[in-house]
Amino acid sequence: MNSLVHYVLVYGVPLIFLNVLLEQLGAPVPAVPALIVAGALSRDGKLSSTQVLLAAIFASLIADYLWFRLGRRFGYRILRTLCRISLSPDSCVRETEARFERWGLKSLLIAKFVPGFSTVAPPLAGASGSSTLAFLTYDGIGALLWAGSAVAAGRAFHHAIDRVLAGLENLGGWALLVVGSLLALAIGLKWAQRAHFIKQLRLARIEPHELKEMIDRGDFPIVLDVRSPGGRKNNPRAIPTAILLQKESIDTQLGDVAPHREVVLYCT
Amino acid sequence: MLIDKGYTRVRPLAGGLDGWIDAGFPVEAIE
Repeated sequence: MNSLVHYVLVYGVPLIFLNVLLEQLGAPVPAVPALIVAGALSRDGKLSSTQVLLAAIFASLIADYLWFRLGRRFGYRILRTLCRISLSPDSCVRETEARFERWGLKSLLIAKFVPGFSTVAPPLAGASGSSTLAFLTYDGIGALLWAGSAVAAGRAFHHAIDRVLAGLENLGGWALLVVGSLLALAIGLKWAQRAHFIKQLRLARIEPHELKEMIDRGDFPIVLDVRSPGGRKNNPRAIPTAILLQKESIDTQLGDVAPHREVVLYCT
Repeated sequence: MLIDKGYTRVRPLAGGLDGWIDAGFPVEAIE
């Protein structure tokens, strides 16, 4: 019985551990489908839902704690590295910073449900100086809610999932190819989306030396510091003449700036 | 958001503040 399902049954819990660990480290391998399948198999008594949940929570805590320590060690710079790995163009550092500052450690409770925020929240917690115990507590509860809801969904829809698994079983050795191809397609789409996003950004960006030349020439571009309060506190310096923009008072701060003026904005 | 407010010539600074500092250009302390 060398089928895909057989391997899932034999190595289910270690596979869940590895899948969640890789995803939380930032690799583009979604763990939710595996957790849903594991939930369905646990409903049929083929896997232990407790073991699946413990594996997911433990893997999640290991990866998140690593990012938390890196965030504490390297500060906000580590976010750039993360954004490069995670392939999530929607995880703009500025947006995630603002979200974390608004909700604090409580954001870890829902972080794993928000695309792009899941991997960025732990280093943000480290960079903001949160205590290790509080971080692990909120992160652990967040991991339980996330993995628990996926497993619960699998248990609820186990009939449908069983039919899909039976279909894969009938494919025999081809099942691995089908699953592998779907995974490769998902990763490929994310890569393409990210490459398009980076290309757009590169086309529109201004290099530091170009901005310096504009200032030296007397072109006086409007320079906006769009960092969050936490980002400014972390590095309390700014480009000379920059306006420290507050999201809530943009209209007041830019009231006298004509729309045709060249605007350059920067974050961390 | 700025483009929505009518600003058409908006560009982000490549590398952000760190890129500016790494290039050796001056910064000033903020309060």
